[in-house]
Amino acid sequence: MSLNKNKFFFFFSFFTLLILNIQAQEEEQKDSILTQDLNEVVVTATRTVRQLSSLPLPVTLIPQSQLEQTGVTRLNEILAEQTGIIMTADATVGGGEGVQIQGIASDYVLVLIDGVPVVGRSSGNLDLSRFAIGNIKQIEVVKGPSSSLFGSEALGGVINIITEKPSSEKISGQLSHQISTFNNHNSNLSFNQRKKKFGYSLFVDRLSTDGFDLTSSDNSQTVNAFSNYTVNGRLFFEPSKKISVFASGRYFYQDFDIAPSTSTEQDANALIRIDHNASPKTNLQYELYYTNYITDEEAIDLNTDTILLANDFNQKLFRPEVRLNQKFGAHNLLTIGVGLNFETLERTLFADNVSFESQYGYIQYDFKPLSKLNVILGGRFDNHSEYNSQLSPKLSARYQLSPDVAIKGSVGSGFKAPDFRQLYLDFTNASGGGYSVFGKEVELAGIQRLQENNEIANLAVDTSELGERLNAESSVGYNFGLQLKKGSFTTDLNVFRNAFKNLIDTRILAAKTNGQNVFGYINRESVYTQGIEAELKYNGFKSLNLIGGYQLLFAYDKNKQDEIENGEVFARDPATLETVRLESNQYFGLENRSRHTFNFKAFYKIPAWNANANLRVIYRSKFGLTDRNGNTILDDFDNSFVKGYALMNFSFGKTFFKHYQLQFGANNLLNFKGSNPLASQDSEVLINPGIQLFTRLNIQF
Amino acid sequence: MKMKTSRFIVLVFTVLFFTACSNDDAGEELKEFTFTAISPDSGTVGTEVTITGTNFPESTDDVTMTFGGVTATITSISTTQLTTTVPQGAVSGEVVISANGLVQTSPSSFTVLAELESGIMENLEAPQTGGQGEEVGGPFTKFSFESGEVTASETEWDIAFRGTTIAVNGGGVTGTADEPERNGNAGVAVETGTFSEVTSAEGLTYAQDADGAFAIATGSGSGWYNYNGATFTVTPIPGRVFVFRTHDGNYAKVEILSYYRDAPAEPDAFTDESRVYTFNYVYNPNDGNTSLVN
Repeated sequence: MSLNKNKFFFFFSFFTLLILNIQAQEEEQKDSILTQDLNEVVVTATRTVRQLSSLPLPVTLIPQSQLEQTGVTRLNEILAEQTGIIMTADATVGGGEGVQIQGIASDYVLVLIDGVPVVGRSSGNLDLSRFAIGNIKQIEVVKGPSSSLFGSEALGGVINIITEKPSSEKISGQLSHQISTFNNHNSNLSFNQRKKKFGYSLFVDRLSTDGFDLTSSDNSQTVNAFSNYTVNGRLFFEPSKKISVFASGRYFYQDFDIAPSTSTEQDANALIRIDHNASPKTNLQYELYYTNYITDEEAIDLNTDTILLANDFNQKLFRPEVRLNQKFGAHNLLTIGVGLNFETLERTLFADNVSFESQYGYIQYDFKPLSKLNVILGGRFDNHSEYNSQLSPKLSARYQLSPDVAIKGSVGSGFKAPDFRQLYLDFTNASGGGYSVFGKEVELAGIQRLQENNEIANLAVDTSELGERLNAESSVGYNFGLQLKKGSFTTDLNVFRNAFKNLIDTRILAAKTNGQNVFGYINRESVYTQGIEAELKYNGFKSLNLIGGYQLLFAYDKNKQDEIENGEVFARDPATLETVRLESNQYFGLENRSRHTFNFKAFYKIPAWNANANLRVIYRSKFGLTDRNGNTILDDFDNSFVKGYALMNFSFGKTFFKHYQLQFGANNLLNFKGSNPLASQDSEVLINPGIQLFTRLNIQF
Repeated sequence: MKMKTSRFIVLVFTVLFFTACSNDDAGEELKEFTFTAISPDSGTVGTEVTITGTNFPESTDDVTMTFGGVTATITSISTTQLTTTVPQGAVSGEVVISANGLVQTSPSSFTVLAELESGIMENLEAPQTGGQGEEVGGPFTKFSFESGEVTASETEWDIAFRGTTIAVNGGGVTGTADEPERNGNAGVAVETGTFSEVTSAEGLTYAQDADGAFAIATGSGSGWYNYNGATFTVTPIPGRVFVFRTHDGNYAKVEILSYYRDAPAEPDAFTDESRVYTFNYVYNPNDGNTSLVN
């Protein structure tokens, strides 16, 4: 974990070199790290091009300049520095890291690349470190539910990665290599060109790392060594002024170095989109999208050479969609879209290959009933072959009170379809004692099969309940915001509440004759998250931009709160181990939620050196990992809390000889390591592997 | 006629005597008192007992009271009510009150109850064979509330443990391997609350082991424990109190505290030995008595 001395020398040398290379006369860089630019536009909030500052919804825009100057290479790293967005690890040591928006977990956040969804989740969690950010124009994050436009999974928010378009007649591009702690190497090459009607772009990225370990006492590593490759090719074609065609192919491959066991991951996407401006007021878009996500896992016992676990997963999604944008007058825009989803999954733990079909349509009207009032009204209907249909309406509005002040608000619903596991899992755990888990669609057949084999002792539910359709998990989100712009200050304040219902939980269907249970899924839990987000930007200094952000968050299970009110929830006094009745104020709330999160970012330009530097600090207050006293909720008696901590990231970049950029920096500059409260008595488990230094050379051509 | 005269004289003298006495403040009244009720009619040593009647003397000094021959101290007195506590060494039987030479016995007998036995069973080992895909087996560890100890008796046991499974000595065979023969009438009622809040076994529904189903349901979240997939630990569900009817019809309550040796506050699934129970219990040794708090 400690820094290699040679590496340090390497960094130091670079630094010295930089100082010697300071040149007084350089072109001043024109960039905008902050998002105050009135010309900045986003497409995710309305599926049409909209000026960021005029939107009635809470949207975070991360521009390319910020991606470049911070030196981050993966999507998760840059998201972690944004107000109200937290990257948080699973409770389990070494578990994956997921994004949390407005206190809503990764399962309920939709990730898009150029407007089309990415699939492939492990236990609901989409690994955002899969996405290299080398060829990205900007990242847009719409907070709160957006199922009215995007359907399933868009409850907590939508993250849309927008790739760059070629603009230059000459071949242009860049080649870069970054080295950082843990023998982390990231190289990428991109080039693109636009010639009259044609354009193309190619992006290739390779990342390899030795991984790291948070637990020194065991033989295994927390994150194993791995390497991954991303290739993304795109074509642009404009046969006429009215028609443009965009085609994109992306392939990602990752291989963990854990011989003789194997673990690989593949993610492929193909997209064709035709844009047709039928008239100055009418725009039609035809979109065909296909994606395939494959993981192959095989764990082999080193001693016996036998296969402990084989888990293969192959998910495919094919989605045609057609959209119409029709303008009425100067400010009113009607959007109508229809589409189909065909989804299939092959998985080792499923009895059969399964497939989904769904049809959907959405409509949105973006209009200005008054000159200072913008209203967006929309809704979407999803009809699905396997679970109950969903209607997702949304209303949002923004009113410009004065040139400096605007208020905005939105109410919308979100939903998440039951996943394949909740519908089709047919699993009996031989090594865990012989319990069985059935998805909703196979539970009746599963129970009948067990009954025929005389494995069922007694049923815990009525047979008529078996196989009843699951409802989608759903939420209603409320956002009310205030925008204030005064001189060099820009302030955004947003109050939010997301109320979830029908969250899918497991329940016992039957007791087996072997003493174990049969589990199934049921809609049961309701939780809510609410709080305040505030962001303050200051650009009053000539070459210094400052951003500060804060989120206050309350996230609770409503059912549990009611049970506590009724005196039905108990905890265990750690001293006596005896039961005590839990008080409302002893319920900490949902796992992995920090009450307070802060971020502070300072971007500094040094024109005289043709250089830039930035410092970013993120802080999150205390959060709990898991229940430890058997009542299934986090309470004050559970010793599973991680103390609040701050991470400081720093980077410095300099351009020399016009085309060469050298960058170095440190993530987790303060070398925070923390301590995991779930660690065994005599061992230590860290929260963070500590300081990670990096340096990068980038050549533009 | 002569008889009549002499009877009259006796009567006159008697009336005169009583009249004289009633006028006398020295308190040598011989008015007959009555003993109509005793409440409660059972209790442990130290239980406060109220006796109702009529014409009790005014001073506690004038009354003696015994529980099975053992003198009790009277704590308060009025003409219609006496209060006392069951004395140390008292035995079940008649309660006798004597005052001024007159003796009355209770209309019903009083049962002196044995004290409830509160205890903590530490480190009851409940090993099992198999698991992890193999058939679970091995003998159950049997426990008797009467002795407060693990027992090898085939009949005098109330509950038995193997791994996370708990059997009761009542009902039928469940079908698991190596289970003990059930020859008693034990049963269990699962209650919610703190241990001290469960005060009586009266009126509860007692489940017994049956074909394929233990009275205390097996599996995480349903019976007595929750399994935490993050820490890999088995934790007793707080607020779950088990009221047992013993094999011979007595009652006891149990709160399981830990599944790990020496009951660590935060067990470590990898270093602490599991299948070792620690539990609090209260046992009422009085036949069929449902009180679970003294």
